[in-house]
Amino acid sequence: MRLNQLTIYGFGKFHDRTFPLNAGLNVLLGPNEAGKSTLTQFISAILFGFPTKKHPELRYEPLDGSRFGGEIAFTQDGTDYLVSRVDGPRGGKVTLRNVTLDLALPATTLTHLLAPVDAQLFSNVYAINEPRLGTVFAASKQALIDRLRHVGAVGSDFWLAQAHQLDDAADELYKPQGRKPRLNQQLQEYQDLTEKLNRANASYATYWELLQTQQQQRSQQKDIQRQLAVQRQVANQYDQQLSLWSTYQQWLDLDDTAVPVVSGFQQNDATTLERLTNQVNATAATLQGDQEQLASLQDQAQLPPLFQQYLLVAGQVDPLIAQFPDVTIAAREQERLQTDQAELQRQAGDIERQYAKHGQMPRAFSLATTQRVQELTASLSLANQKRRRLQQQLNQLNEQYRQQQPTRQQRQNPLADKQVGWLAAGLIVLIGAMFLPGALFKLGGALLGVAVGYYGVFIVDSSTPASRQMQTLEEDIRDVQAQLREGGKAIDHLTQQLDDIGDAHGLGDLAPAQWNAAQDAIVMWDRLTQRLENVAEQLATVVATVTDFQAAVRRVLPAATAADFTKLARELQDLQSTQQRLRTQESDVTAVASRLKRDQNALDQAQRAVTTFLQTRNLRSTDAFYQQYQQVREQGNRTQQRAALAEQLGARNLAALQQVASHADLSQRAQSATTQVADLQQQLDAVTEQLATIAGQLDHLTASGTQAGLRQKLANLAAQMQATAQQWLVDRLVSQWIAATLAAASGDRLPQIVKTASQFYGKLTENRYTEIELTPTTLRVKRADGDWRTVGQLSRGTAEQLDFAVKLAFAVVMAQQVAMPVVIDDGFVNFDADRRRAAYQLLATISDTIQVILLTADDGVADKLPTENLIRLTD
Amino acid sequence: MKFIHAADLHLDSPFLGLQHLPNALLAQVRASTFTAATKVFDKAIAEHVDFVLLAGDLFDRAEQSVAAQAYLFEQFGRLNDAGIPALISFGNHDYLADQHQTVAYPANVTVFGPEVGTQMLTLASGETVAISGFSYPQRWVPEDQVIQFPTHAATDWHIGMLHGAVSTGSGDHYAPFTVAELLAKHYDYWALGHIHHRQALNDQPPILYAGNTQGRAITETGTKGAYLVTSRTGQLVPEFFETSTINWEMANLSGGDSLQALSQQLADWLTAHPADRTTLTAVTVQLTQPLTGEDAAQLQSGDWLALWQRTQQRVMRAAQRYVVTVNVATQMASVAAPQLDQHYWEQGAAGVFTPENLQQLFGKLNQDPALAEWFTQPQTTKAVEALARQQLAELMGEEGNHEA
Repeated sequence: MRLNQLTIYGFGKFHDRTFPLNAGLNVLLGPNEAGKSTLTQFISAILFGFPTKKHPELRYEPLDGSRFGGEIAFTQDGTDYLVSRVDGPRGGKVTLRNVTLDLALPATTLTHLLAPVDAQLFSNVYAINEPRLGTVFAASKQALIDRLRHVGAVGSDFWLAQAHQLDDAADELYKPQGRKPRLNQQLQEYQDLTEKLNRANASYATYWELLQTQQQQRSQQKDIQRQLAVQRQVANQYDQQLSLWSTYQQWLDLDDTAVPVVSGFQQNDATTLERLTNQVNATAATLQGDQEQLASLQDQAQLPPLFQQYLLVAGQVDPLIAQFPDVTIAAREQERLQTDQAELQRQAGDIERQYAKHGQMPRAFSLATTQRVQELTASLSLANQKRRRLQQQLNQLNEQYRQQQPTRQQRQNPLADKQVGWLAAGLIVLIGAMFLPGALFKLGGALLGVAVGYYGVFIVDSSTPASRQMQTLEEDIRDVQAQLREGGKAIDHLTQQLDDIGDAHGLGDLAPAQWNAAQDAIVMWDRLTQRLENVAEQLATVVATVTDFQAAVRRVLPAATAADFTKLARELQDLQSTQQRLRTQESDVTAVASRLKRDQNALDQAQRAVTTFLQTRNLRSTDAFYQQYQQVREQGNRTQQRAALAEQLGARNLAALQQVASHADLSQRAQSATTQVADLQQQLDAVTEQLATIAGQLDHLTASGTQAGLRQKLANLAAQMQATAQQWLVDRLVSQWIAATLAAASGDRLPQIVKTASQFYGKLTENRYTEIELTPTTLRVKRADGDWRTVGQLSRGTAEQLDFAVKLAFAVVMAQQVAMPVVIDDGFVNFDADRRRAAYQLLATISDTIQVILLTADDGVADKLPTENLIRLTD
Repeated sequence: MKFIHAADLHLDSPFLGLQHLPNALLAQVRASTFTAATKVFDKAIAEHVDFVLLAGDLFDRAEQSVAAQAYLFEQFGRLNDAGIPALISFGNHDYLADQHQTVAYPANVTVFGPEVGTQMLTLASGETVAISGFSYPQRWVPEDQVIQFPTHAATDWHIGMLHGAVSTGSGDHYAPFTVAELLAKHYDYWALGHIHHRQALNDQPPILYAGNTQGRAITETGTKGAYLVTSRTGQLVPEFFETSTINWEMANLSGGDSLQALSQQLADWLTAHPADRTTLTAVTVQLTQPLTGEDAAQLQSGDWLALWQRTQQRVMRAAQRYVVTVNVATQMASVAAPQLDQHYWEQGAAGVFTPENLQQLFGKLNQDPALAEWFTQPQTTKAVEALARQQLAELMGEEGNHEA
């Protein structure tokens, strides 16, 4: 880029002036205040814009009020342009024309045409003046490096500034050695918190220890509790026993087990009696009331006294009245029986008078006796007939014998003696048989006796030796006599027997011939007596019935005085009829009567109940009962009291107390048990307290939330730190990135710049310094003698020369791309004459490559510098 | 048979990535892991389950939390009272080694040892169950442990309990396994732990990660819980139930060009999207144009968010959402500096965004464990680079403005 002409409308002290420029070295010469700096500023302002009105000293508005601004004609890439700028917003109003093509261009094109040079780069690199060189010293080393970097890459000042800002921001976030930056503070806080947490974490070990202790203590506690429970029970028992001692003594005193307990005199019995007597009293009262009522009623009704009485005992009388018909029948029966009895007695008396000679009735024969008597009578009649026949025979024989031998009769017959002996034997047997028991035996015996007699009389007789007629006669007579005797004996015997029978049956006074009739009478009498007995019996029953009835009636109705039944019956019938009559009479009397009846019944029942009650207890009166009852109750009270005491004591205590020797002994035992309890309690309290403490500690540990709180705080802090660190990293990385990009962008030129700068610097310093070294962090120069000098060690002039050399080198090296003219405004003030000359020569040299506009007050320059374009500003 | 499969309770461990938290929320956050776990135990008791499986990471042993231990004692006691056995295996966070634990858990608790063991249970129904598992003896278990698991026992059911991650082939620290290996055991159920994201590796037999019971970072979004597993016609059917009391959620908004607009936009979004429970929400806003430098700095420093949180407290409470972070994204302007060639920028980036440079830059900060851990995460580097690019883009925009 080459500036061809500067046209000033109005700028600072200039107005309407034109400065033509050529491609090489242009020198604009003028003393102070000739407008050198104004021109420098004019170029910058037209190309890059007017400074804002905040900096009026930099705006160079025309002092005479002419039009602010101007125009510059320049050539870029073989095309001519004309840019004009007048006052306006945002750095002034720009007009751009492509002169070659005669084309108006938009204002924004200017920036692109000038790129990558901007105002800052222009002022920093291309507009060289002493103050700007001087800033090298004012700036830090970093600034210098940045400047050089800036020089190294076009348009990098913005980025450098950003990188700076980023680094500053990053430094505020974190500095590895710092204390104040945010992350450093956070790290510190994190460390503090971590320590706190570690301290809090110590509670973890404590927790487990506590847990373990708690477990042990709990089992210990349980153990003690168990022991304590046992011991406490023991102590309690002793205490209880102690407290019960007096009771126990009472219990002992009340011991009267010997007294037997009588039953039937209990409270309930008393109550029963009371109830019963009350019932009696009540019913009696009711009865009396009813009686009075009835009496009053009767007074009106005028009832017979018997009926009145009856009414009272109707309950008892009515059954009697019910019996009355039967009794009446019985009474009639009685009469009939009495008649029968009299008749029967008369008949029996007749028979008795006939047969009972001695007041004793003969006895009746039994069947056997009857037969026997018949047999005997038959035998007797037979024997009598036989005797009569034998008597006749004998009479005949006697006649014969007397005829033959009347004496024979006197002779003794020895045979007859024999016969008598048999007969006697037979008789004995016969009589003996009478003593035998049983009729058959007696009969048998009698027959045997007869047989024996018969044998003696007939068999023996027949066996006697026969005689002749006489003898036969005698024997016949003797035989017949014997037979007669025998017959007589038999008759006697039979008669005897009959007499015996008669005697035995009380018929001694009667001839056997009368016996049959007597027997019939006896049987008749027997029957009569029997019937009499029956009748008497029936009569007795009937009489008893009647008398009982009468007695009963009399008992219940003392007023029924009639002794006679019939009269009584009449009375009763009257009663009944009265009753019947009364029934039909007014009902209230009936009601009262029935009520009275009921009352009486109730009273009777109640009295009976009382009586029964007393009887079952073997008592005579209620007083006796109450006496006994009182006794029993007292005894019961004692027993109850004792039982109550026993209950109060309790079976176990009682048993235990019975084992105790004395009160003192018991006290001692109780004392020791209590002591033991106290000991255990103390232990338990201690353990419980420890447990409570542990629980408290555990609760505290668990619930404090310290750990959790700290951890969450730490986590939050970590998040903050990460955010900070991230931001810091981003800042730093972007900064690094910018630096790296700038380095990359300038990287291929920087060595060349440095090299060129080194050459220039050598020339400027007359080769006192031969080399410039630029690293990202350091800038130093090498002296001819080989020593390295840092910027700070350089003199002001030498340092300015260094800057000048670098800037020129940059301009030269970048000329292919940028080719911005170098504007030097009195830049060599601090240069000595030689170096200034060297500087002029250097400028002359480089003006082959780039356009140089040198503004100077040094008149000598014209001599020392061959120039095609020398403009004197004072012209 | 009915049981509960839960894992990664992470009792009493803090929420991560929260820079500022109001006190009211802090208490809720602190209780959340416990509340979530309590829901698991409540469910176990309410459903009268036969047993409870806890597949590792019940708590973070390194944190030495008293509260966690006290809580476990209490809850195991509850299960004990209800006659419910609990089978637990320790994972990489609660690995076995702890000389402190001098008091054993209640009798109903079975802790698997460092070697694979099998516990036999006979249920009230008469069914028999074998449960195999192991605990981490230390933080890392790099070997595949599945080989140690026995084949299906002669019981009605066999369940495997495994705290680990699917093998990636190399550098696995957490009991690596493959699904095929697990299937080869012919178990009826695999109760997995370690991965906090609930997922099924196989449907039948179920091979499941229950996920953690309470999300603790923005990476653990969604509803968290555990499985109630019931036997149905010879199969075990898992049914998920919720336990988390605080959810995490990421939200994306778009529009707006300034913090002021963003503030209103956020408030409107909250009103329009109330949550059913406390939800920690991370918001990313796609802006129509980059923020100005000042706005960007305010946002970056967190000052803006802190102020916004204070002013919009009521809105957040009403929506039950707490905005934990706000990130803005702008259409990534092509990094084109007017004055510097693109390739210089790329060249610069290539030199700057290297692990070596990052490591060197991070320097002493590596000594801080919290930062070091964060820094070693690969996403950190990515995030940092992305942020740097964004910031540069913003700067370029500024440069452009500056030029204009």
